[in-house]
Amino acid sequence: MSKGATKAPVSQIVVGVVIAALVAGVAGYWAGTQRGGGMAKAEERKLEIFHWWTAGGEREAADAMFQALKAKYPDIQLVENPVAGGGGVSHRVVLQARLSANLPPDTWQTLGGAELKSYVDGGYLVPLDSLYTEIKYSDAIPKPLANAVTIGGHPYVVPLNMHIQNILYYNKKLFDELGLKPPTTFDELLAAAKAIKAARPKMSPLGLGTKEKWEAAFVLDSLLLELGGPEYYVKLYKGEVDVATDPIFKAALDRLNTLRPFIYQFHAGLTWDESCGLVVSGDSAMVIMGTWAIGYFKSRGWNPGVDFGAVTFPQKPDRILLFHPDTYGLAKGAPHPKATLDWLKVVASPDLQVPTDVTQGGLFARIDIDPGQFPDPIRQELQNYVRSNPGKLILDQHGSIAPFSFTQAYWDVAAAFTAKPDVAGTVKGVNGLFTTYKVQEGAAWYQWP
Amino acid sequence: MNPTGLAVRFARAKEAAVFVLPLLAFLLVLYGMLAWTFYTSFADWEGTAPNYTFAGLKWYRFMVGLDRFWVDLGNNLRWLILGVAPTVVLALFIAYLLEIGAIKGIEAYLRTLVLYPAAMSFVVTGTIWSWMYQPDRGVLNTLLRAVGLDALASGYTTDPATATYWLILIFVWQYLGLGVLILQASFRSVELQEMVESAMLDGASRLRILFAVLIPNIRGGILVVVSLLLISALKVFDIVYVVTFGGPGYATDVLALFQFIATYQQHLVALGSGLAMVIFALAFIIIIPYTVYALQRWFE
Repeated sequence: MSKGATKAPVSQIVVGVVIAALVAGVAGYWAGTQRGGGMAKAEERKLEIFHWWTAGGEREAADAMFQALKAKYPDIQLVENPVAGGGGVSHRVVLQARLSANLPPDTWQTLGGAELKSYVDGGYLVPLDSLYTEIKYSDAIPKPLANAVTIGGHPYVVPLNMHIQNILYYNKKLFDELGLKPPTTFDELLAAAKAIKAARPKMSPLGLGTKEKWEAAFVLDSLLLELGGPEYYVKLYKGEVDVATDPIFKAALDRLNTLRPFIYQFHAGLTWDESCGLVVSGDSAMVIMGTWAIGYFKSRGWNPGVDFGAVTFPQKPDRILLFHPDTYGLAKGAPHPKATLDWLKVVASPDLQVPTDVTQGGLFARIDIDPGQFPDPIRQELQNYVRSNPGKLILDQHGSIAPFSFTQAYWDVAAAFTAKPDVAGTVKGVNGLFTTYKVQEGAAWYQWP
Repeated sequence: MNPTGLAVRFARAKEAAVFVLPLLAFLLVLYGMLAWTFYTSFADWEGTAPNYTFAGLKWYRFMVGLDRFWVDLGNNLRWLILGVAPTVVLALFIAYLLEIGAIKGIEAYLRTLVLYPAAMSFVVTGTIWSWMYQPDRGVLNTLLRAVGLDALASGYTTDPATATYWLILIFVWQYLGLGVLILQASFRSVELQEMVESAMLDGASRLRILFAVLIPNIRGGILVVVSLLLISALKVFDIVYVVTFGGPGYATDVLALFQFIATYQQHLVALGSGLAMVIFALAFIIIIPYTVYALQRWFE
């Protein structure tokens, strides 16, 4: 065998591999362009879904969702692409890549409000007007919830729950022992904090964790809501308040500063669940957190109404519930639009909402479901309140009235303030954020009441 | 030229192609992506949908107007200086101690011990260190309080004034072993060993041998370590992400983390690309000395 003959196969293999790769690439691209176009033959009964409920407690809620789908449509084959890590951070990275490449999953989890708007603005979702008419979903959910999923007059997603942000959880046994009433205003909160500090000097009365930053904005939101009322709250996040000269915003920061000596000092190192853990471990007595904390407390063996209580905070001048929903929509160019619409009908049904929401921690999106379905008195009461006062719901920090770009930056500033309070600097900083991120323009879509 | 010569040449060319083609494909992907990012930083991509409309310096102007950008740049400089200088100096001393057998018997164990952190992922070490730093029940404060040094107990990564330095300490700890390994290897050239032997015969002290003989002759090794550490320090992301997530507020934020936040959380993709270009430019500045040195050696 000559020398040349032994070499030829190597180079041929290389050339072959390169050609094969090119062919595969072109074929893949062609297949990509064919998706969603000209669906001549019957659609496969398949549903590709993207969600971020992978952590403990949430995984069980996801299973409950899919069980409901299976019960109604046993023929739909489910393809799950959950991204581990939770909180939706890695989820958004992968989803963004899929969307930019024009290879969307059929449906994906998104919060209502500003996040939803970013997908609608990108042209990635199909309006669901006919589905809403068909199942009369607008009548089944509170008006503010419908508004939170309606962009430019069209509903784009189906909400399956509502999380409430402004809840103050407290150690019930300690409150009973000290004869304290759960606080529903700033003055009561401060008085309770002082009383707890006097009785338990080693305690930090108010637990807080700001590692994820938004937790700090939750506390600030409650203070703003009490000082300014609901109309002010909406105007503020619609960018219609001149923060630089606004006495209310400054007063809220002053109040947060007054609270600081009673707040857990090393909050920057804790995530939201760890901050609730402070209450369980007895390091703190209270924490302001969303309805998802109920699931956390229960997982630590704490019983609602026995070990811990919860109140809406604040309740003056009005008892407003700041909320955001988890939702699913239909992708533009979805490979399986029929199966997706079937899925969305299940999402809208009590068959899915009851088992899922009870497990995951929010309220039912539908107000025609019996609040007695909740095992805990806290959510029974909240759901009842929503039922008779649907107008008291306002989009919260997660749902976000203002654009997401603003909200992210705002959380950082709020978290920085709780670590190192500088009222004048923070007022200036926040005021700058409103113009930098063009909030007035980006939040114009939101209507309340 | 005869036909046989031509055939040989052709065969050689094919042979070269075997090696060059993969390299070319690799370079194409790498620099293609780089060029794409570069262009995106001048585009107007804001939101989830790609938008490649040329916007000039719009997002760079936006970037330099953000307080967060300057905090990040300052932090990145802290990482570059405080993450690298102490690591190299410490690595040099430890490598020398191991080399001269000053600590006979435990040398092998020590080497493993020093190298071990480098074998772990930053996500793991970041988690371990955040437990050590935890101000209430963490290892460090518990130890300090146990020996009555309560005054030294601090908030570590939860104190905005010092948080970045505690993060950098993790980096130093983790990269020390790698520095030791490379420097020890560069001690081991035959010429250098001979020089050390003759210096010892002349009665030079061990410290003098280190400064007068070893260090001037291992410039290549030091340059490799410094370049490697500088680049690792520049692209730092995981330690910050795991331990503080940039907090308190954005006190410990770095360019790489902001790039991630801007692109995927804020959906300001043009801004994220711009930040990536700033990191690239800094990396470029850092590797110039190394490249110059490598080229000099090449032509020597």
